[in-house]
Amino acid sequence: MSDWIERLKDEFILNFVEDDRWRYLVDGLRATIIITFSALIIGIVIGLVVATVRSTHDKTIETMHPGIGRTILKILNFICKLYVTVIRGVPVVVQLLIAYFIIFVSVTNGVVVGILTFGINSGAYVAEIFRGGIMAVDPGQMEAGRSLGFNYVQTMRYIVVPQAFKHILPALLNELIALFKETAVVGYVAVKDLTKGADIIRGRTFSPFMPLFGAALIYLVFVMFFSWIVGKLERRLRTSER
Amino acid sequence: MSADTIIKVEGLRKYFKGGAIKALDGIDTEIQRGEVVVIIGPSGSGKSTFLRCLNLLEMPTAGRILFEGTDITARSTNINLHRRKMGMVFQLFNLFPHMTVMKNLTIAPMKLLGKTKEEAEEKALALLRRVGLEDRAEAYPNQLSGGQKQRIAIVRSLCMDPDVMLFDEPTSALDPEMVGEVLDVMKQLARDGMTMAVVTHEMGFAREVASRVVFMDNGRIIEQNTPNEIFNNPQSDRLKSFLAKVL
Repeated sequence: MSDWIERLKDEFILNFVEDDRWRYLVDGLRATIIITFSALIIGIVIGLVVATVRSTHDKTIETMHPGIGRTILKILNFICKLYVTVIRGVPVVVQLLIAYFIIFVSVTNGVVVGILTFGINSGAYVAEIFRGGIMAVDPGQMEAGRSLGFNYVQTMRYIVVPQAFKHILPALLNELIALFKETAVVGYVAVKDLTKGADIIRGRTFSPFMPLFGAALIYLVFVMFFSWIVGKLERRLRTSER
Repeated sequence: MSADTIIKVEGLRKYFKGGAIKALDGIDTEIQRGEVVVIIGPSGSGKSTFLRCLNLLEMPTAGRILFEGTDITARSTNINLHRRKMGMVFQLFNLFPHMTVMKNLTIAPMKLLGKTKEEAEEKALALLRRVGLEDRAEAYPNQLSGGQKQRIAIVRSLCMDPDVMLFDEPTSALDPEMVGEVLDVMKQLARDGMTMAVVTHEMGFAREVASRVVFMDNGRIIEQNTPNEIFNNPQSDRLKSFLAKVL
């Protein structure tokens, strides 16, 4: 038993303490966090635009007068639909490689490519979260707002979006969790994130156990923390109504 | 069109699914100021669609609707301005669940009519008192019974000082013991001279309050007359068989 503990201690020192190898994990974690949150912000911006187009189209196209506005909305809706379909239908690793080696070939900074790729990728998922949240609000709410004399934008702002929020917020945090884990593939384009950092240690020490379980533990702790926030938030949103 | 005509409907048609379903198949009628028009008919007859066309919640396929002399179906008309003058009450109340009753009642007058909070709340309170719900001003809709919700929904429309009130089956979603309290508010409104168009299955209400009853079937007006004539001296076979089933 003490023999086993002794070996674990040696492993720990070899992988994390010697040559300050813990830095690979800390620097990697920093890169993972930077990519995750920057991508989420880009995703929210893209998602907001796409969801606005998609739900405006779905809610108003039936009652819209024929004309240039209606045609533009239909084209925009088609583009947004195509974007969501393509992004959700292709593995994110493939998207990352395409971005790094083809689309952003002039950008040599892998972190930037990672942020852009995951941002564009997450935009499609966030768009569906927003759209789902808006569409989940009873259509009678829109009718009630419009019948009082509010225009479409006012009804959205005062009545529909505030109610959509409670569907959206927990789902958005879940997207953050997914994104946090998915970014582990950025090592493909030479970014030293948490996963890559652990793998570099493994390559130096030829001892896979400590660095890989170390990285796994760090991911797990962060995800558990985010999940705890989601749970708290869901309970609070539920009690504010009903 | 006389000065007392508030709504005039000409050749109103509403088709769904590219004409496969003719919900409204040519409606011509007028509503005079102060009139209480009760629209009855079997389900699927188009009566709700007709009501929802009056404030363009449904966009008519063809025909014109003139509201206070303005063709609201014209593309140049800003329907939002006219909807302020047309209150609407829904079968499922459609109160805003994320706002208190007071906020439900004051948001439209404040945002659309530019009233101050004090003005809007004063009017809301006065109206709440009239329907006996002044003590529920700070409640949320989910804390209210169905009958209370519907009375609040009526007050929400009244806060905009409408010239006409549209009721789309206002008691159909209520427990039987709550129907009375909502009908009482509507009767009081009618007595106060409000112009009303009411789609309902409450034949008692139609008989007692209506100045005119409109019977619809298959997207057309089959018969319209005073309640006395409609209920005691129906002309068409369809109205006779309908009344035989519902009375």
